[in-house]
Amino acid sequence: MSVDVGDPSVKRENIVPSPRERFTRVLSVLGSLQGYIGLILIVGFGILSKGDIFWNGINLTNAIGAFSSRGILAVGETLVILIAGIDLSVGSILGFCSMTAALLLTTRDMNPALIVLISMLVGAFFGFCNGAATSWLRIQSFVVTLAMLSIARGLDRELSNNVSVGTQVVLANGHLAPNSESFQLLGTPGHNLFNLQIPFIGQVGIYYPVLAFLIVCIIFQFILSRTRFGRHIYAIGGNETAARLSGVNVMLIKIAVFMLAGMLAGFAGPIDAAYSASADPLAGQSFELDAIAAAVIGGASLSGGKGTIIGTLVGALILTLLDNVLGLNAVSDNWQLVIKGLIVVVAVVLQRPGILTTTFAYVRSIIAKIRPERGGDKEV
Amino acid sequence: MKKLLLRTLTCGLFLSVLIALTSCGQGPATSSGSGNSGGGSKTFVVGYSQSNNAEPYRAQLNLQLQHYIQQYPDLKLLPITDAHQDSTTQVSQVQNFISQHVDVLIVSPNEPDPLTAPVQQACAQHIPVIILDRTVNTDCYTAFIGGDNVLIGEKAGEAAAKLLPNGGNVVELRGILSDQPQIDRDKGFRQGIASNPNIKIIADREAKWLKPNATTVMQQWLSQYPKIDLVYAENDPMALGAYLAATAAGRANQMKFIGTDGLAIPDGGIRAVQQGQLAATFVYPTGAKEAADYAEKIVHQQHVEHKLVLGTVAVTPDNAADLYNQYHLGG
Amino acid sequence: MMSAIAGAGDNKPQDNSESNGGIPLLEMVRITKSFPGVQALKEVSISVRAGEVRALLGENGAGKSTLMNILDGVFSEYGGEIRLDGHPVSIRSPRDAQKLGIAMIHQELNLVPELSVSDNIFLGRELRTPLGTIDLKRMQHKTAALLAELDVTISSTRPVRMARVAEQQLIEVAKALSLNARILIMDEPTSALADAEVQRLFKVIRQLSARGVAILYISHRLEELQEIAHSVTVMRDGELIGTHALADVARADLIPMMVGRPLQEVFPKGESTVRRDQELLRVEHLSLSVDKGGSNRALHDLSFTVHAGEIIGFAGLMGAGRTEVLEAIFGVHPRRLLSGHVYVKGKLLDARSPRQAIRRGLAFVTEDRKSQSLVTILSVGFNITLAALRRFTRGMLVNQQQEQVAVVDAIHNLRIKTPGSTTMVNNLSGGNQQKVVLAKCLLTNPQVILMDEPTRGIDVGAKSEIYEQMSRLVSAGMGIIMVSSELPELLGMCDRILVLSDGRLTGEFQRGEVTQEMILEAATTQEVQAHVN
Repeated sequence: MSVDVGDPSVKRENIVPSPRERFTRVLSVLGSLQGYIGLILIVGFGILSKGDIFWNGINLTNAIGAFSSRGILAVGETLVILIAGIDLSVGSILGFCSMTAALLLTTRDMNPALIVLISMLVGAFFGFCNGAATSWLRIQSFVVTLAMLSIARGLDRELSNNVSVGTQVVLANGHLAPNSESFQLLGTPGHNLFNLQIPFIGQVGIYYPVLAFLIVCIIFQFILSRTRFGRHIYAIGGNETAARLSGVNVMLIKIAVFMLAGMLAGFAGPIDAAYSASADPLAGQSFELDAIAAAVIGGASLSGGKGTIIGTLVGALILTLLDNVLGLNAVSDNWQLVIKGLIVVVAVVLQRPGILTTTFAYVRSIIAKIRPERGGDKEV
Repeated sequence: MKKLLLRTLTCGLFLSVLIALTSCGQGPATSSGSGNSGGGSKTFVVGYSQSNNAEPYRAQLNLQLQHYIQQYPDLKLLPITDAHQDSTTQVSQVQNFISQHVDVLIVSPNEPDPLTAPVQQACAQHIPVIILDRTVNTDCYTAFIGGDNVLIGEKAGEAAAKLLPNGGNVVELRGILSDQPQIDRDKGFRQGIASNPNIKIIADREAKWLKPNATTVMQQWLSQYPKIDLVYAENDPMALGAYLAATAAGRANQMKFIGTDGLAIPDGGIRAVQQGQLAATFVYPTGAKEAADYAEKIVHQQHVEHKLVLGTVAVTPDNAADLYNQYHLGG
Repeated sequence: MMSAIAGAGDNKPQDNSESNGGIPLLEMVRITKSFPGVQALKEVSISVRAGEVRALLGENGAGKSTLMNILDGVFSEYGGEIRLDGHPVSIRSPRDAQKLGIAMIHQELNLVPELSVSDNIFLGRELRTPLGTIDLKRMQHKTAALLAELDVTISSTRPVRMARVAEQQLIEVAKALSLNARILIMDEPTSALADAEVQRLFKVIRQLSARGVAILYISHRLEELQEIAHSVTVMRDGELIGTHALADVARADLIPMMVGRPLQEVFPKGESTVRRDQELLRVEHLSLSVDKGGSNRALHDLSFTVHAGEIIGFAGLMGAGRTEVLEAIFGVHPRRLLSGHVYVKGKLLDARSPRQAIRRGLAFVTEDRKSQSLVTILSVGFNITLAALRRFTRGMLVNQQQEQVAVVDAIHNLRIKTPGSTTMVNNLSGGNQQKVVLAKCLLTNPQVILMDEPTRGIDVGAKSEIYEQMSRLVSAGMGIIMVSSELPELLGMCDRILVLSDGRLTGEFQRGEVTQEMILEAATTQEVQAHVN
């Protein structure tokens, strides 16, 4: 368009995002404010009730580290939820890959780095099956991944013959085999990659699961916000028809997303095996529920098109720190389950746009009813 | 171009899966009851209904039962059924065995109440029933073979008392609270430590029989209690999970760990005692050998005890190596 | 129920408002409503008498829909007062409105497609037998009676999705009647109707008016208002501009009131810009078969050409296959259903997906922008660049600076009224949403733009802007294929008009040589026209 026939009343300066708008955009990447408020409340409660038993490097690392494999699953799950799908099989895939990792270590004495790589490929393969069935065969993702949940679990148990496999191969001289030794770095408690001094918290050991989780979050948030692939994901979840008519290769991207979810489950598998220094044929059972909960608390909408990885990170932190705080306060497991469920519902309700103004309006109207001499609202 | 990439990727993935799957193999191939009958003599059919193959203890039980029944050439074991911890499934599986008119029916009930009726049905059809490990609410069976969890708990308590002659702080890791074995072991343990009032259980939590759960709980205890002298866990995985946490905190040598189960597998309690991680564990007998023996006796109309309570064997650093070799079934 | 007044072929609106001795049936007094960041209504007051047909005019975003939504109980929070028969009433929920006898027929009909006609009419207030179960027979009986009144022939047990849009609309009217509505609000009722159906609707409106029902009629079709309305209320930017009896005001005066600025001409297409020597798109013997389970119409052996600088219009009745032509060219349908060839600038286009069509220089503005073209929960900026991200991507990364420049340009050049580029598309008015779609298409640098009902549901001001855009685009050398149900629009904008009937090409006319009657005749004929280039 060579001739400028723009409407003079629509000022160009107004179209370019103002600092306030840019701030809003950054904020939206960070996830909803309510999530952070919840996190601060939990941390506050922890500090109030347990002081520096809660707030110290070791406890925080333990708490986040224990949830890391689930957190990594949650990242993949967020991607699937963004395209308006759901993946119920990530827990089983993690279990299968955890067992694969343990077996590769003990029967083939494989290098841990190679183990992680193969584990990721295996996970990606399962993810590919999920994606292909959802995209090509057009079966709903709920159904496909429900089937895969069962299939992967069955294969896992068959692979292991229903027996757990330890990851600490002891040589004749009593020492651990070198690969077993380095496998511990993948997440066995007490084996940190290195140590750091962090202000306000003290000395913190950099624990691989936590590091891996954070790095995965950063990478995938970057992918979502800054790449074309990320845009296409939001478009498909927001309106699949519009995406398709805008030239987005919907089928390919759906398959890719499921593959990524599977790959992340594969990435988390060895972490899980290292944490227990063994792979259990039942590892990962119901992990997918925690993954979905973290994503939902973090603001992802199950109808697609809404959500961020950073939000999921906050959701994961909320879940695990809440577990930690309740555990330190010796709240029984039963009540922990109840509270966890309530948190999910409360978090979703609090994420509704305009919830704060609606609540204030409601409170005001109640006050107006109690105090009639103040009069009702004349203006909105 | 994109299609080629996709195909290469798929092949690569497929290969990785193959590599992964071929690294499998633990334990002998599951036998499908291939006992050949020796020249001319009758073969008796044995059916075993297992409550949950996924539990390592039960997986071991299965292996052992297959092994011991194979020693008897005239016994044939049908494929072991797995009820996946679901009582309803197990009821129909048991009824299936009844319709097949097995010569001996062995049942490890998932829960007592739902499985009572089918056991009675078997009884009504004059099928001999061996109840293995957990009970039912009827007396109409030929033999009950099982461990005594209260006794095991008590022995663990006594071992704890011996390890802490001057008393000390004990933390207890418990299985699923509603499981009968959990209730019994806990009860027994508290009786066992009663002899020394200076031994205090300062904390107990449910870790659901799972190793990673025990690790997390232990980490929280370690940050709250400066003095822990002994960890008692109602099964070995939980004990080992606690051990991992204590090692990470550098306090593993300040306390003793007692587990339960004593499975003779590379990842099990006996090896853990051998390697010095656990101070002691107690073999929870599978009863597989006894069940096989009883089955043989029953089909030959010989007398068997109505109730056979199996003792336990304490696994200590002295006997761990021998016990491992004794119980280990190869693979 | 038919009053004698409405018959006798009299097409002028009757004045039936004397029933209440002067007190208006409906008064909305100083209504105010604001949304986050937007003041939608500023102290608007109207009053309507029983039996009056009041037209509501205004550009999209003027506030007409908001005002009517308040009356219908959609919003529980607003300022001002509503009075019926002089008494103040509180309308805070649709149920309140229903109880007071107010019914609204939305532009997007509120029917449940899978339920039957009678189920829809009695939705929420099903009739019960003494036993407590649903009394299907009684409901169907009543429904049949209502439908007969309105001359609707569909059976009351059929699922609503089997009725044509025109009939669905009348079903909504029947629903309102069964609720004993005293005030009926109709939002763009004729935008999806053919002429004969419009007349049928008008007949019904006159009947209702004769019975004392007040009708509030939102429409952009100024020509229709003369036929049906008694009076008109004009709104602009959330304010009331004025209410006049229709007899007192000329059409030429209405538009400036709505738009606030004088408009030269509605159809700005001036000199012909057609370059006959440059062929952009050529379609040869295109046929589309019906997909099993699909809902597309068949096409038979279509051939035509689009040149640079040309606007081709496709006319025809609903269901003639006009949308399918565009979809077939754009690669929306599975390849196996198509036969024939499409050439873009001489090269064969084997479009298996919209992606390929876009890459070869085609763009598609769909009929239903909200469900097919826009991701409504995301921002204006996101939507505008969605189809052209390739241009701003290096490697895998999107260059957000470059992107922002393009977005700002697009908003500016197309005069999209939006608080900013990060505004959610859902919050824009229909006309501006359509402009976002157009911006999205233009950003892909298309050669040929396929437009399906590009000005549906858009006010006069925005329409005129879109026509201007179209003219500018073809002057720059692009080609446009436009499907439209508004004959004046086709006659005013197109260089050539092709007519479809039942999937076949039945007429081709040059600009200036064609009338509405000729088009209609071709649209209803079965004779196939030979291809004229």
